[in-house]
Amino acid sequence: MKKWQVAVVMVLATLGSWFAFASTAQAKTYTIATDTTFAPFEFQAKGGKYKGIDIDILNAIAKKENIKYKLKAISFGAAVQQLSANQVDGVIAGMNVTPERKQTFDFSDAYYTSGVVMAVAKGSSVKSFKDLKGKTVALKTGTAGATYAKSIESKYGFKIKYFNDSNNMYNDVKVGNSAACFEDYPVMSYGIKNGIALKIVSKQYEAGDYGFAVKKGKNAELLKKFNAGLKAIKADGQYKKIVDKYLHSSESSLTGETASSRTFVGLFTQNLSTIGSGLWMTLELTVISIILATIMGMILGVLGVMPGKLGPAISSTIIYIFRGMPLMVLAFFIYIGFPDLIGHGFKIPAFIAGMITLMLNEGAYTGAFVKGGFQAVDDGQMEAARSLGLPYWTAMRKVIMPQGIRIMIPSFINQFIITLKDTSILSVIGIVELTQTGTLIIARNFEGFKIWLMIAIIYLVIITLLTWLSNWVQRRMN
Amino acid sequence: MAKVIVKDLHKSYGDNEVLKGLNLEVEDNEVVCMIGPSGSGKSTFLRCLNDLEVPTKGQIVISGYDLSDKGTNINLVRENIGMVFQHFNLFPHLTVMQNITLAPVQLKKESKETADATAHELLKTVGLADKADAMPNSLSGGQQQRVAIARALAMKPKIMLFDEPTSALDPEMVGDVLDVMKKLAAGGMTMIVVTHEMGFAKEVADRVVFMADGLIQESGKPDDVFDHPKSPRLQDFLNKVINV
Ligand SMILES: Nc1ncnc2c1ncn2[C@@H]1O[C@H](COP(=O)(O)OP(=O)(O)OP(=O)(O)O)[C@@H](O)[C@H]1O
Ligand SMILES: [Mg+2]
Repeated sequence: MKKWQVAVVMVLATLGSWFAFASTAQAKTYTIATDTTFAPFEFQAKGGKYKGIDIDILNAIAKKENIKYKLKAISFGAAVQQLSANQVDGVIAGMNVTPERKQTFDFSDAYYTSGVVMAVAKGSSVKSFKDLKGKTVALKTGTAGATYAKSIESKYGFKIKYFNDSNNMYNDVKVGNSAACFEDYPVMSYGIKNGIALKIVSKQYEAGDYGFAVKKGKNAELLKKFNAGLKAIKADGQYKKIVDKYLHSSESSLTGETASSRTFVGLFTQNLSTIGSGLWMTLELTVISIILATIMGMILGVLGVMPGKLGPAISSTIIYIFRGMPLMVLAFFIYIGFPDLIGHGFKIPAFIAGMITLMLNEGAYTGAFVKGGFQAVDDGQMEAARSLGLPYWTAMRKVIMPQGIRIMIPSFINQFIITLKDTSILSVIGIVELTQTGTLIIARNFEGFKIWLMIAIIYLVIITLLTWLSNWVQRRMN
Repeated sequence: MAKVIVKDLHKSYGDNEVLKGLNLEVEDNEVVCMIGPSGSGKSTFLRCLNDLEVPTKGQIVISGYDLSDKGTNINLVRENIGMVFQHFNLFPHLTVMQNITLAPVQLKKESKETADATAHELLKTVGLADKADAMPNSLSGGQQQRVAIARALAMKPKIMLFDEPTSALDPEMVGDVLDVMKKLAAGGMTMIVVTHEMGFAKEVADRVVFMADGLIQESGKPDDVFDHPKSPRLQDFLNKVINV
């Protein structure tokens, strides 16, 4: 076998094993989704394990009721979407029980009752809702805080700005872009205790219930067990122990981090394994996507210059569709929309969905410049080859492609770098790659600047290495 | 039977009719030189002969193969027709040697070893024995064109088509290329040569064909055509060519 054949076989084998894994993993075991950054209900502790009130309650109930489950930590928004699309069996993510949500989900008995508070920057002069007039308020999408703030928006005359992530919301208030944020009381007070430079300036409003959710009419068995288990752990005192543990202790005692380790180097060594696994995921995604996108791009490029009308038409249509679609929309469509469309509980693992997303998007871009590269080869080359009696495909392979590919090399290098960077967008479907790793670490230690600097440097280092490698290949080819 | 038979050949690009019912027969071992003003359709005609252009109407029979017949394997016909282009069209990513051996090896006409040996012979014939491993871009125009001729000959064609093979060359390179073509003609190759080299046509051609407005206006022995042109179009053309 030639080298490229080996590579293709390896990619196919890897794909196959993923699909196999995806289909065996769903037998009997429930998949329960949770948020990634909602301390003290859920957050990632050092070493990548998730902790928090939700996680511990779920765990205790599962033990009592013999529920087998796999925890899937993704953003709150994605968790809710996936539950309604049947991609996961349940969600426990500090989710408020609302009449709206009851239309789509069935909820357990309330396992926690919480109110909404307003928080402002430490030195802020905002003391009450009245002071918000004309100012901007930061909210996290889908939270009770957001619903409450929205309901008083016109009364107090403030503007609203939405975030997907608590930390970004806090930061926006901290740096003064927004005057205040609305957040569940336990979440806010936990954050402040752990170093967020905000202060709570209101009492608790709109006390709301947190419930465990399943899709309406589905998994009734799971819901029943959850309720029974909840009763049991409340009765035997486990429940109180869990809640007390998180609400009355600081983050460092939970995650094992100490204040002295908050230097750049300290943070780096402490989070090395988490960052390492995120980096590995990024590299894996990048390499596989580059291979697949290159294959797809070559096929599109060849179709694009084929004689006749059909090939070029197919090629331009595919390029048009997938180049025109924002990567994030495509990712959501493939991960959430597409399985929904197929129905029958069809699921695509996030990694596969991410890979397909990148393949289609980067493949379309690649197809466009591959086609251009082939077209840039002088027409006389094809004529000379054909006049010697070479069939079309032989002429293509031996004469046009080698020349075209040489023209394309700079575009390929560029595309590889773009692919690497685009993997970060896949964090929206819950893939814990390098960028998402950063979000997760910051969610528990609030060291935004240092961690993002770290992540940025890592990206630059890989891109530099990738560029060197590509230049070396280019030099060898010329 | 004649080697090349062209009957009532028409070719249009959209509304533009370039060939308007052309008839020509070329015998075995015959050398036909084709002259005519720019845009008269000479290249189009040559390109029709090996199906690089598909005629709108008419019949072309080459060595007994009818090109308009759907059952004809065009690649097989092309193996019998060598074509040399004005701009050489060598493959720039391959060495001189690889340019020459690509088609014979790919089409399994010859093993790599035999093809290499043949190529060396051909390079000797065109006077470039020492350039086997050179890249085309390192050669002069005249050298490139001689490699292109060798490349076409490597398929052992029965007919050679030349489309203004020397008009992109510096004057001092023209002689070398024409010498190679003379050798070929002397060896009995059937050739159709579109050229502005009147000296070459006079010396080598068995017949000279004058083309204008998509039709053959006049043809005959070189002496007759050049010294006693009948049609005013040809007289006019010759005056212009000779006076520049
Ligand atoms: N692919 C094409 N599409 C449209 N028109 C074409 C095409 N190829 C040639 N023509 C037209 O056909 C006519 C004849 O062209 P052709 O190249 O055969 O002339 P020629 O006799 O070889 O001229 P020259 O001496 O300049 O090479 C020209 O008017 C040209 O514009
Ligand atoms: Mg021409």
